Amino acid sequence: MSLGLDRLFRRKRSDQELDEEIRAHLAMATRDRIELGEDPQAAALAARRDFGNRTLIQEITREMWGWSALATLWQDVRYALRGMRRNPGFTAVAVLSLALGIGANTAIFSLINALMLRTLPVHDPGRLVELLFKAPAQDHFNAFDWRNYQHYRENNHVFSGLIAASDTPFAIRGDGLEPEIVHGGFVSVNYFSTLGVNPVLGRLIGSEDGSPGSPANVAVVSWSYWQTRFNSDRAIVGRQISDGNRPLTIVGVAPRGFVGLEPANPQDIWLPLTAHQPGNATTAQYWLKLAARLKPGVSIEQARAEMNVLWQWTLDEQFKANDDRSVRDWKMEVQPAAAGLSHLRDQFGKPTLVLMAVVALLLLIACANIASLLLARGAARRREMAVRVSLGAGRLRLLRQELTESVLLSASGGLFGILLANWGTGMLVRIMGSGRERIELQARPDLVVLLFTAGIALLTGILFGLAPAWQTLRSAPMFFLRESPGAGEARARRLFGKNLVVAQVALSVVLLSAAGLFVRHLSQLEHLDLGFQRDHVLLVDLNAAGSGYDGERLSRAYRELLGRLEAIPGVRSATTCGYFPMAGVGAMRPATVEGYQAKPGERRFLSENWVAPHYFATFGIPLLLGRDFSFQDQGRQRVAIVNEMLVHYFFGDGNPIGRHILFDGDSQPFEIVGVVGDAKSGDMREPALRFVYFNSFQLGRNFSKFALRTSVDPEAVAGDVRRLVRGQLKTVAVEHVKTLADQVDGAIVPERLSAMLSGLFSALGAVLAALGLYGLLAYTVARRSNEIGIRVALGATRTDITRMVLREALGMSSAGLVIGALLAYWGKRFVGSLIPGLPVQSVVPIVFGAAVMVALALLAAYAPARRAARVSPMEALRYE
Amino acid sequence: MPTAMRKREGYKSGIELLQGTLDMLILQTLRRGPQHGYGIGQAIRSGSGEVLQAETGSLYPALHRLEKQGWIKSEWRSSEHRQRAKYYQLTQAGKKQLISEHSRWKQLSAAIVRLMNPGEEGGDA
Repeated sequence: MSLGLDRLFRRKRSDQELDEEIRAHLAMATRDRIELGEDPQAAALAARRDFGNRTLIQEITREMWGWSALATLWQDVRYALRGMRRNPGFTAVAVLSLALGIGANTAIFSLINALMLRTLPVHDPGRLVELLFKAPAQDHFNAFDWRNYQHYRENNHVFSGLIAASDTPFAIRGDGLEPEIVHGGFVSVNYFSTLGVNPVLGRLIGSEDGSPGSPANVAVVSWSYWQTRFNSDRAIVGRQISDGNRPLTIVGVAPRGFVGLEPANPQDIWLPLTAHQPGNATTAQYWLKLAARLKPGVSIEQARAEMNVLWQWTLDEQFKANDDRSVRDWKMEVQPAAAGLSHLRDQFGKPTLVLMAVVALLLLIACANIASLLLARGAARRREMAVRVSLGAGRLRLLRQELTESVLLSASGGLFGILLANWGTGMLVRIMGSGRERIELQARPDLVVLLFTAGIALLTGILFGLAPAWQTLRSAPMFFLRESPGAGEARARRLFGKNLVVAQVALSVVLLSAAGLFVRHLSQLEHLDLGFQRDHVLLVDLNAAGSGYDGERLSRAYRELLGRLEAIPGVRSATTCGYFPMAGVGAMRPATVEGYQAKPGERRFLSENWVAPHYFATFGIPLLLGRDFSFQDQGRQRVAIVNEMLVHYFFGDGNPIGRHILFDGDSQPFEIVGVVGDAKSGDMREPALRFVYFNSFQLGRNFSKFALRTSVDPEAVAGDVRRLVRGQLKTVAVEHVKTLADQVDGAIVPERLSAMLSGLFSALGAVLAALGLYGLLAYTVARRSNEIGIRVALGATRTDITRMVLREALGMSSAGLVIGALLAYWGKRFVGSLIPGLPVQSVVPIVFGAAVMVALALLAAYAPARRAARVSPMEALRYE
Repeated sequence: MPTAMRKREGYKSGIELLQGTLDMLILQTLRRGPQHGYGIGQAIRSGSGEVLQAETGSLYPALHRLEKQGWIKSEWRSSEHRQRAKYYQLTQAGKKQLISEHSRWKQLSAAIVRLMNPGEEGGDA
């Protein structure tokens, strides 16, 4: 635009120059004539006469400049702006609905862009892949142990580099630093060189950090960490910090924008894997995420074939260790990782794509809506158009003028849309991050997003502008010939408008039933029987690391704390456990159950959790048989409590109390003393696992995850809990406090996102469709007022007239309903294939969508119907 | 509409020039040095013995077209009578253009002469 304006200014100057050039011509011609003896006045006159038609000559000369295309565009824009100013109401409605439509599309696209499209800021990201393993009917995981990593790295021929990285929080302290948890990871020494990342300052972790005997206590920090914590101090290289008790030397700063392999889970500090001390109780065995760069010329298929061979080794080792034939069904996957590791994409990718379809439909409804508004307004402009066409204006030129206006409208909508999207995306990312995982997605609009928005703004402008403009132009000369609009022409126009309304209703039904589907799905999950009572439970994470308490002393302190917690008014019971329900799958070990003969190769894994007495009462898991753990179990025969699932599998209807379970590698068996109901441990969509609970106090294991069942709002006792912990265990930190209900909610964030957004967007779509219907009916009633007047004069009652208008509304909506229901039925199966577990069998969502639309249609028809019923015959005839 | 009006204007005495020919004559005139629009018109008229008439309605569009094509360039300066005027000047590209147009014109006029005098043609051959 600035270029155009610039040229327009130049054009103005050129105009002045041309004027001056002609004046000089005239002056010189006059002087010549005077020199030949003519009277000055006559000379000037003759010179002008000789020159000819000055305006015309100027005009033809200007054409030679070749800017007329731009000048006419400017003319069109000014004309369109005038038109928009003249109809502020129309403009506001159009721009607002476009802003909503385009904004919603931009927001969802920003998410898709950040999740799937934006590549990692590394060298040639298209050649990066990640390794995953997948058990049948489960998600795939990028989680490997050190031994497998080494085996793959040393024996593959397809990768120019295979890298490993962990996801580890570090408790960083240092001079001038606030002590804080910094997200980072241990990385293999070839990590940065394989990714092709170069330091901004100092050096990155490299092969020198892997040699045996190297101190390895070095750290590389991210650009943003350097900026925010060290104020971009260039003397950062060589600075000493510490992670817990481990001293660290900062050796370099990673380039701007590099935050590891998962942009949504940004890392700020990296340590060499060699610095990791194994045997740390908190580290799981499978803690490394593997990624690799394909060798030049090697395809991903070749890499898959090679890795499947190497994977056999892993399976053999696993089988040797556990004699578990089910591992044979596990598969290795090699997936592209140009946009980073797939973890978040797996979770949110498909819901986001479905939402993209939802907002595209919303935008289509907005388009149809504005098209019908333009159509109605086009009726008012037909006379003007007709005059211009008959005066010889090119139709293409007029079409372009109309399109300029619609594109201008959509461009304004796009501008406001970007603002809305900016706000909306922030909100979306916050909702996504409300789950149990850390999600810090950088979804701010970048160039790709802006291009996308500009693209859809242009496209929508043409889409909703073209049809009405064409209609107007086609009918224009006819209008001019016949002063009174012909019946046929008016019918064609109304038919077109009706089609637009039918389309809007149909699309709205699709949207509403999609929303119905997602809301129903969410509510099914929310009311799923989890096997425990999610309300009135407070979860408290303590951290005793570096507190000075450990072993027996910590055990005594925790037992005492449990007693005091139970004494808080409003608290019914308190307990600790190894991990909370729904906080992810815990530990698993193969075991032998007394009285059960395992078939060769049968899956013998049992899931484990370590809990304190009152665990089952606190979480509301019913105790079906036997007894709960007690503190008196300490020093006696090792006891276990099992769940129903385990009992059914191993004992059928038999009584498990008193039977024993021996875990592979253990010397002492556990005696079963109780049976509890099945409770979900990991994914709530999966059936419960065979579970064994141990008494953590009996085994002398201290877990810092506390849970309290309250009779009051659990948040209300959080303050008391913090005070109590601080008072009794001064050096133990309270890390997290949240309710169990929030924790459960955190597990269904993608579903909640889908339900919320599809609900919101379908409501918007339905309102737009209702407005469209209202607009068309109001227009029809106005056009037909003389017909209605005649009907009334001929004896039609008000009820007849009202019924006539309502019938028209219902006719249009039913056509839309039928089409919409068919589309929804087809779309449902499509969505069902994308997102497992959706209740797609049910027709309730479609019926719901249709019912809402009928109600809205009748509501929209009410006002026009009343107006029609009030038409007085005299007035109507006078109008004619 | 504009075409019709242009025709009405072109009633004056003298032979109206075809566009291509006018371009060539302008370039030829400017070979003698920079000149303003009025001067070019006068030069064509007097140089042709008052036979050829460069109408302003063709002259100025032609000048602006030639300038846009880069065959001539312009600058503002004062005339001998201290009248500020826009002087046009031949460029290198313009000189080349003049040569090619001149040779084309020679071919054209020879062809026309041959066509208009069929008798002489036989004699020539």
